[in-house]
Amino acid sequence: MLTYILRRTLYMLPLLLVVSLISFTLIKIMPGDYLTSARLNPQVTEETLQAQIERFGLDRSFIVQYGLWLKNIIRYGDFGTSFDTKMPVYRALFLGNKLQWTVFIAFSTLVLSYLFAIPIGIYSATHQYKPSDHIVTFLGFLGLSIPNFFFALVLLWILVVIFKVGDHGLTVGGVMDLHFYGEAMSWSKFTNILWHLWPVWVVIGTSNMAGLIRLMRGNLLDTLSLPYVKTARAKGLTERVVIYKHAVRNAVNPLVTILGLTLPGLVSGSVVVAIVLNLPTVGRSYFAALQRQDEPVIMAGLLFFSLFLLIGNVLADFLLAWVDPRIRYD
Amino acid sequence: MKNALILAGLLVITSLAVFGQGYPTQPADALVFPVGVAGTVYEDMELGVRGGTITIANIEDPKGWNDMTAHETSTTYFTQRQHRGLVNLDHISGAIVPDLAKSWEISDDSLVITFHLREGLKWSDGEPITADDVVFTYNDLLLNLDVDTNGRDGQLLPDDTYPVCEKVDTYTVKFTMSVIFRPALNSLSFSILPKHKLAQYVHKLNPEVPVGTFNEAWTLDTPLTELVGNGPYIVTDYQPNVSVTMTRNPYYYGYDPAGTQLPYYDTHISAIVTNQDVSMLKFRNGETDVYALRPEDIAILLPEGASKGFHVLITDQPGYGTTWFLINQDVGLAEGVDNEKREVYRNVKFREAMAHCIDKETMIQNVLNGLGGPQWSPVSVPSPFYAGRDYYGGPITENNAVIFEYDPAKAAGLLDEIGVIDADGDGYRDLPSGAPLAMEINTNDNTTRVASCLILVDDWQAVGLNVTFQVVDFNTLVDRLFGSSGDLIYLGLTGGDEPNSGANVYNSCGSLHAYRYSACDEPDEIDTRVDELLGIGANTFDLDEAFAAYVEYQQLLSAQLGYIYTVVQSFQYAYYDYVGNAFKASPISTPGGNNGLLMELCFDKRLL
Repeated sequence: MLTYILRRTLYMLPLLLVVSLISFTLIKIMPGDYLTSARLNPQVTEETLQAQIERFGLDRSFIVQYGLWLKNIIRYGDFGTSFDTKMPVYRALFLGNKLQWTVFIAFSTLVLSYLFAIPIGIYSATHQYKPSDHIVTFLGFLGLSIPNFFFALVLLWILVVIFKVGDHGLTVGGVMDLHFYGEAMSWSKFTNILWHLWPVWVVIGTSNMAGLIRLMRGNLLDTLSLPYVKTARAKGLTERVVIYKHAVRNAVNPLVTILGLTLPGLVSGSVVVAIVLNLPTVGRSYFAALQRQDEPVIMAGLLFFSLFLLIGNVLADFLLAWVDPRIRYD
Repeated sequence: MKNALILAGLLVITSLAVFGQGYPTQPADALVFPVGVAGTVYEDMELGVRGGTITIANIEDPKGWNDMTAHETSTTYFTQRQHRGLVNLDHISGAIVPDLAKSWEISDDSLVITFHLREGLKWSDGEPITADDVVFTYNDLLLNLDVDTNGRDGQLLPDDTYPVCEKVDTYTVKFTMSVIFRPALNSLSFSILPKHKLAQYVHKLNPEVPVGTFNEAWTLDTPLTELVGNGPYIVTDYQPNVSVTMTRNPYYYGYDPAGTQLPYYDTHISAIVTNQDVSMLKFRNGETDVYALRPEDIAILLPEGASKGFHVLITDQPGYGTTWFLINQDVGLAEGVDNEKREVYRNVKFREAMAHCIDKETMIQNVLNGLGGPQWSPVSVPSPFYAGRDYYGGPITENNAVIFEYDPAKAAGLLDEIGVIDADGDGYRDLPSGAPLAMEINTNDNTTRVASCLILVDDWQAVGLNVTFQVVDFNTLVDRLFGSSGDLIYLGLTGGDEPNSGANVYNSCGSLHAYRYSACDEPDEIDTRVDELLGIGANTFDLDEAFAAYVEYQQLLSAQLGYIYTVVQSFQYAYYDYVGNAFKASPISTPGGNNGLLMELCFDKRLL
């Protein structure tokens, strides 16, 4: 397994190189650059703009800019300095506890989605076409079709306007009340975090869950129609054993496989939700960099998300080997 | 709010440890705001009490804590509360008033401005503030080419030199100019930075550090205990994407007439809330104390105010920004095409016809929910030089306004007169030669601008002009503006009190003279006169003389219809009733950002 992970990591390097080249090209194709908005400032002279263009190296050719960026990473491990914040890009991306919150929110949402989706999917499949299945299916489609940012906004609106949580001293958005930042963990801080995180889990988790429920239901229905399940039933095994011991273990494999795609999706795909729900995540730094065309941060952000893809895939492979004894990577 | 009060208490205790104890008694040279003093613009304000926390929402995170290298309001909102300059704009009247300098005098030849600093003042860490700090900020930072600052351009004199800054004594500095330049006084409002903390990062003063080190000083990574300022607040806590907390500077030199040191609020928290809808929800939830609302929020907030204990301040005070569209008078010039179209665009009667089609009233009602006014001048309405006033700083009467009233029939008549008629009977007017005249107006993805463009297109089509509308990416729009490509562009610019700050836009050779860049090489009579008037307005300290020049300047530019102004949103604000003096919120109180409060003088009425 270790050799496999090492091999996968090494395979990732040329892939990252290609990703970086494509990303760099796309950034350069985009109209304007970091200084575009400064050009609209009547009080900034052409000379100042020119000095800034030279300072940021924006006057160099595409190949030279990319080559320098790559060289600095390979030779010095230097991913560059943010144009905007004048900090090393990793600080600009991860300032404060953004990395920890990003990883925590992504993993906790992932775990919760799977924890709920798999049993609901099983229930839905084993109660096919019954009213309860229709309800679950309807909710699943609803979860898939409502845009996350809109769902987040509606949820906040319900809390503030309908339930008037402010009258009870409760705040909305963020991961905790402002005064808890920097404080040691306590019971009140813990419960406050839970109060702030449940909308996050509901918004990001349900949209993720909706697809997983559909997938689990479909897979299990397929599996239940296979001959080995009929054999198991013919042997007189109880329905519970047939479903949970024989069918589910095979039906769950595709869900584990897509985990590799789900994890980076949770990190990069929830940027808009992070904005609406005021979450201190890496995605927000990345989004701000995109808006301002802060190229070094955009490039570093893309590499970071690619790394999450790698981690997600390796994790999926690992879990697949665990749930399916037929799979071995050595 | 209870939690905020606990936080405020903790921060005050911490800040005492970091900052020191402050002035033992009110300094003799303190800056006294005439709160409640009859005959002043502050007369209707109340004396407050110290304490409490005010929480507001800001849209973006700051980009650093270095005022000199800050480029945007998300940063200057904080740095300009942390640092103050020699002079400032009065928060209510907009006039230039003393700040760190208690007075100044201008030499008889108008070439030397001598500032007298308030004596005995200290930085937030207890070090004295002296003329050395002013000279350091000006000579070693602002004029230092190694320092990445936009502020340097504001200091440039018409002859491409900079004022020479010299220390006269510990509390006196003088600025000597090679030419008379009135806006220099305004430009000298730059924030003064502490030499004892920042000189170490400047290569010319400390050759041990590489060139450009200063640009990376006081970033978001810097320990906040390093920050030292002279303004009312100092940043004491930053949680990325969450909040910035500022704590009172114990050595701030602002006082009220009762001898209470300002600011009244101990702590000022800015919650970073990127989404405006969420920002409003947080205000309604009682998490923020004030809210700078959008026109579309009025219908929700007004009915709720009485039951929730907040007030919605609806004013007819316009903001500083300008909104306009331009007709590209150089269309096809570089490529040598569209010659006839260009000729039509350059005909002022065509532009007058386009202007007569603007239904500003509908725009105000439909786009700004009735909360705005028409705009006609290149100078911001709040500016004391706005030509809608009868004299410098006078009330707005609009006696001098150049108005192109909404009159489609007149527009049609003007178009007929210049031969732009429907020659082929397809329902659209053609060029005088009979060739079709098709135009496109572009703006970026901004709901207000898009809605305005849709109204404009309808009005133009009603008189037979074939104008279509296309939303383009903001950067593409800016590229078109600078590349002088495209037909019509709808956009806005920031404004200010000083008309000369628009020189780069209206001077015939200005880099933002986007409606006709060729005016630099081929100026017409109006271009030449506008350039002259810009010079006259800037080269005199006689405000009446400057005002007269700027009135003619505004009238000429408005009649020339280079940038054709549309409507401007008026200033609206919502605040909880317990925020004392919040009723004085105005767009003028916003030198450093998006909040219209006169923060030093706001206080928590519940503490009375």
